[in-house]
Amino acid sequence: MRVYKVLLGLSTLSSFAFGLWPRPKELTTGTTPLRLSSDLSISLAGVAGAPSDLVDAVKRTRGYLKNDKLQALVPDRGSSSKTAVSRAKALRRLQLKYSGQGKPKSISEEAIAAIDTRDEAYTLTVPADGSDAVLTASSSLGLFRGLTTFGQIWYDIDGTSYTLQAPISIKDSPAYKYRGFMLDTARNYFPVADIKRHLDAMSWTKINTLHWHIVDSQSFPLVIPGFQGISERGAYNKKAIYTPADVKEITDYAAARGIDVFAEIDTPGHTSILHHSFPEHIACFEASPWTQFANEPPAGQLRLASPATVNFTASLLTAAAKLFPSKFFSTGGDEINNNCYKQDAQTQTDLAGRTVDQALDTFTQVSHNALKAAGKTAVVWQEMLIVHNVTLAQDTAVLVWISSQDAAAVAQRGHRLIHAASDYFYLDCGGGGWVGNNINGNSWCDPFKTWQKAYSFNPLANITKDQEKLVLGGQQLLWTEQAGPSNLESIAWPRAAASAEVFWSGPGGDVRTALPRLHDLAYRYIQRGVKAIALQPEWCALRPGKCDLDA
Amino acid sequence: MRLPFVTIIALSFCAQALLASGLWPIPRNLEAGNQLLKLSPAFSIQLHIPSAIEQPQDLLDAISRTRTRLQNDKLGRLTPGRGEEDREALVAAPSLLRLTLGIKGDGPLSSIASESVKDIANRDEKYSLVVPADGSSATITASSSLGLLRGLTTFEQLWYWVPSSPSDGSDVEQDGIIYAHQAPVAVKDDAPAFPYRGFMLDTSRNFFSTKDIKRTLDAMSMSKLNVFHWHVVDSQSFPLEIPGFLELARKGAYSSQDIYTTADVQDIVKYAAERGIDVLMEIDTPGHTAIIAKAYPEHIACPNASPWNQYAHEPPAGQLRLASPATIDFTVSLLSSIAKILPSTMFGTGGDEINVNCYDKDEQTQEDLKKSGKTLEQALDTFTRRTHGALRGFGKKAVVWQEMALDHQVTLANDTIVTVWQSSADTSSVVKKGFRVVHAPSNYFYLDCGGGEWIGNMAGTNSWCDPYKSWQKAYTFDPFAGLSASHAPLVLGGQQLLWAEQASPENLDPIVWPRAAVSAEIFWTGPRLPNGDFRNVNEALSRLHDLRFRMVQRGVRAIPLQPLWCALRPGQCDSGGLPSMIANLGVRRLLKRVRK
Repeated sequence: MRVYKVLLGLSTLSSFAFGLWPRPKELTTGTTPLRLSSDLSISLAGVAGAPSDLVDAVKRTRGYLKNDKLQALVPDRGSSSKTAVSRAKALRRLQLKYSGQGKPKSISEEAIAAIDTRDEAYTLTVPADGSDAVLTASSSLGLFRGLTTFGQIWYDIDGTSYTLQAPISIKDSPAYKYRGFMLDTARNYFPVADIKRHLDAMSWTKINTLHWHIVDSQSFPLVIPGFQGISERGAYNKKAIYTPADVKEITDYAAARGIDVFAEIDTPGHTSILHHSFPEHIACFEASPWTQFANEPPAGQLRLASPATVNFTASLLTAAAKLFPSKFFSTGGDEINNNCYKQDAQTQTDLAGRTVDQALDTFTQVSHNALKAAGKTAVVWQEMLIVHNVTLAQDTAVLVWISSQDAAAVAQRGHRLIHAASDYFYLDCGGGGWVGNNINGNSWCDPFKTWQKAYSFNPLANITKDQEKLVLGGQQLLWTEQAGPSNLESIAWPRAAASAEVFWSGPGGDVRTALPRLHDLAYRYIQRGVKAIALQPEWCALRPGKCDLDA
Repeated sequence: MRLPFVTIIALSFCAQALLASGLWPIPRNLEAGNQLLKLSPAFSIQLHIPSAIEQPQDLLDAISRTRTRLQNDKLGRLTPGRGEEDREALVAAPSLLRLTLGIKGDGPLSSIASESVKDIANRDEKYSLVVPADGSSATITASSSLGLLRGLTTFEQLWYWVPSSPSDGSDVEQDGIIYAHQAPVAVKDDAPAFPYRGFMLDTSRNFFSTKDIKRTLDAMSMSKLNVFHWHVVDSQSFPLEIPGFLELARKGAYSSQDIYTTADVQDIVKYAAERGIDVLMEIDTPGHTAIIAKAYPEHIACPNASPWNQYAHEPPAGQLRLASPATIDFTVSLLSSIAKILPSTMFGTGGDEINVNCYDKDEQTQEDLKKSGKTLEQALDTFTRRTHGALRGFGKKAVVWQEMALDHQVTLANDTIVTVWQSSADTSSVVKKGFRVVHAPSNYFYLDCGGGEWIGNMAGTNSWCDPYKSWQKAYTFDPFAGLSASHAPLVLGGQQLLWAEQASPENLDPIVWPRAAVSAEIFWTGPRLPNGDFRNVNEALSRLHDLRFRMVQRGVRAIPLQPLWCALRPGQCDSGGLPSMIANLGVRRLLKRVRK
C-alpha cells in the first residue's frame, strides 16, 4: 500500500503512472488488480432528487468508461497483466452519495454561483474486493468532479477495463477557486462545435472557468440584442457569429460541465471594429502606420472622453452582460494607446482639460456601475489598476498578464487577482512573429511556454501571507492571431492542463512524476477525440523517466 | 551564378502589386490580367493526343481530380467581401467551356508515376498554360504527363467561388459561381529552378497512419513538391515491414497496428508517384538503430545503455555493430530487401550522429576492430562501401546526412547526394568535395524547432534549434549563399523537415502547413518573381494565405498565419509600410514592449 499525501514541495520519484490529472489532494492506492464489470452501474440512489445535469454527467461517464479503451502506457501496453486482470474481482457498482443539506442543486447552478461559494470537494473509494465504490460530496459539483476522477482510473486490455492499483481512496478539493482557460474568438473565429469540444476537454482536467475574449479590433462575432448592427458589419462573415441562442447553448453546455463562462468586451482599446457600425464612437480608426496607434492592426479605440461614447459603452456592456449568467464580466482595459487619443481632435475637445487617465476613470466607473447594476463583478486587465490608477470597486478582480512579477503590485493594492502571466501561461508564444514582413521576428513573448514551464509556476511568489486570500487562481490563454480551428486543440492540449493542476493541486509538483500522468491524460484525450499533441516519442511515453536527461 | 536571394532589402516593398493572387509556387513566367472569367457549368477538360498514343490512366485520374477540386474548393477570394464585390460583374463575364491538354511530340506518353520516379536529373516538369479572357479554350501544353500535372495544379489555383446570391447566414448549401479574376493568364514554359523539392517526415518517434501520409502527399502536390523523404525508422520504433525481416516490425513497432506493411508501402509509393512525388526512403545506419536489438540483439552495440546521453543524441542508445562482418552482411541484406521494392533511384542510408563512445564501450566492436586491424573510421568506410555498393546494384544512388561527407573518412561515390542539416553554413564544405547537396538546414527548415525541449525533466528549456523557424525565416533562405558559381550546379534543391519527437497525427497538419510550402517556392521559382523583382515576404504573404485557405477547403488543417482581418487585407498587417529592415527593428522593439 502506497500513500501519497500531496503536500507543497513534497515530491516522489517513483515511476508512478497512475493517470489522475489533476493530482488529488489525498490519494491512497493499493496493488490489487480490479476490473470493471461490463454491467457496471452508477447508482444515484444516494442522491435524492438528483438534478438532470448530474444524471447526464453519469451517462457521459458511462460512455467514457465504455469508449475510452485506453491501453496502459507501458511497453507491452498491458498485455502482461492480462491473466491478473482476468482473475481479478469485478467492480459492479459505483454509488453516488449526496451529503449536503437539503435538495441538491444542479451542477449548472453551482458552477456559475459566486466564486467564493463553490464547493468542489468529494471523496471516492474503490475497494479491492469488488464491493461498491462510493463517491460522496456535499454538492452536485463535487459529485461531478469525482466522476471525472473515476473516469481516469481505468485502462483497457482486450475490451476489459481494469486498474492494477485497488484499493483506491481519494479525498479531494481544489487549492484555488479559479482555474481557467482564455480563448480569443476575434482574431480568428471558432465555430460553436469547436468551443463545445474545448469545454469538454477543459472539464476533463477540472478547469472551471472559460474566459471568453469574444470580440476585439479585428472582428465582432457577438450578436448583442439592440446592437445587432455591430456583428452584422463586424463579424468576418454572416456565419462567423455567436447569436444569443449560440451563447446560451455554450453557457448551458459549459455550466453542465462545471464551467463558468465569463465574457470579456475589451474597452476602450481593442475596439476598432465598432467603427463600421458606430463611427462616431471610435478614435483613430485604421490610422496608419498602425504601429503608432495600436499594439496591433487595425488601430481604433473608443472615444473614452465623449459622454455619448461613455453612455453607449455602458449600455452595450449591459446588453452583452445579460447574455451571460456568470457573476464575472470583463471590461478589459489593456493596451490603451495614448497617441491615438492625442491625434483625435474630438477626444481632445471632449477632454476639456482632463487627462486621458481622468477620462478613463469616469469611463470605467460608468461602465462598471452599469455592470454592477446588472449583478456583475468587474474583471480588468492589470493596466487599469497599476498603470492608470483607475478607481475600481474593491471586489474587482485583476488579470495579471504582462509579467508574473506584477502580481505583487496588484495584491499590494488589495485587489483579488487571476494569474494569466505571459511569461508562463501564454500558449501562443514561440510561433514566430505574425506581422507579415517581420522576417527575423520571433513572437514578442518568445520562447514557447512549455508545459514544464507553466507547471513550475508559483501562484504565491512575492505574495505575503495575508495577501494569499487575494489569489483567486489562474489560467492559460490562447490569443489567436496564429490559431484557428485547425490548431486549437494541438496548441492547447495537453499544455493547458498544466495550470489546471497547479491551481487544483497546488504548486510545487515535480515535472518528473507529472510527465507520465500528463502523457496519460494526453492519450486519453486522443481516445476521446481531442487532438492533444505528443510531448515525446511514444517510446518515452511508455517508459517513465527513460527520457529524462540523466536516465 | 551567384544570385542574391531575398534578403532584407528596401527594394522589397515595391512589389505590393498583385502578381497572381493564388499561385504558389508562383510560375517563373507569368502574365495575368484583371478580367473576370466564369467556369461554365458544362466545363470539360480534354486530353488531346494522337489516338495511336495510349492515355496514361494516372493522367486521366489527375484530370478527374482537377475537375472535382474545381467544383469542391469553393474558396472565396481573400478580400474583405470574400468576392461579393464580383457578383454583379460576373453576370456579364464570359465563361470558359474547355481546357485542352496537349502533348508536344508524338512518341509514347509515359505515366505520371513513371516520370516522377525517374532519376532526378531527367524529370521533365515543364508546362505552358494559356487561359484567354474571352472564354475561348484554355490550354496546357507539356512534353510529359508530369508537366501536364504541374499545369493542372497551377490551373486549379486560379479559381474562386462566390454564392450566386448574398448569404443569409443559414447553413443551407448555396449555389455558386466558380470564376477567375485575373484573366487572361499566360504561363510560358514554367519549370522548376531546382530538380529536388522535398519534405521529410519522421514516422518513428511517433507513428503516422497511411491516411495521414496520403493527405500530406496531396498537400505536397498542391505546391509541386516532388520528393517525399521518408525517415521511416529510427531508434524508438521500427514501423516498417521488410520482407525477410518481419521480426523487426513485429517486435519494434509501437503496436501491431502501427506498421507499414509491404502493401502499405507500395500503396504510398504509387499514390505519391501519381501525384508527381518520388518517395526517397531512408533507413538510418549505423546510428539511430537501437530498436533493431529487439529482434537482432547480436547486431546492436550499447542497446539502452544508461545514461543515454553518453551513448546517443537521444534515448534510447544503440547502434549497429559496424565492425562486425555479420552485421555488415545483415545491414546489406536488410537495405537491399526494402530498396528493391522501391522504384526511386535514391535511397537514404543516413549516417548522422554516430556516437564513438558507444563503440568504445562495446566489447564485441573492440574485438572486431582488433581482429580486422581497422580503426573505427576504417570500419565505417567498409560498412558504407558495402551498403552503398549493394544499393548501386539495385540502381539506387545513396543519400547521406552531411557527417558522412564532412566528419568521417568514408569513401563516397561521386554521385552520392548529401543532405546538409546542421547548419546552412556547412553547404560550401560539402560542395567543395564535389558532392551534390540537398538543403535541409536546421537553422531555416526544421519545422519542429521552437516547441520547447522534450527531454522530460528539462523544465523551461528551449528546443535545441530554437527559435521556431517561421515561414518568413524559411522564405529568406538563399540556396547559393557562400557558394562559388562553379559549385551552383551541385545544388539539387532542398526541403523542410518534420522530426516527430513532439509531433503526431494530432498536429501533423498544423505544424507542417502552410510552412512547408515555403521551400516549394524557393526551389521551384528561384530568386526572382516573374516581374523581375526579387521574391520577398511582403509580396508572398497574400499568396501563401491563399494556398493555406485552399488547403483548409481540401481538408488539410493548415494554420492561420494571421488574424483573418489581415489575410483579407494584403499589406495592412505589415509593419507600417516602412522599408522592411527598419520596420523589422521597430516592430520587434514595439512588440517586445507590450502586447498580449
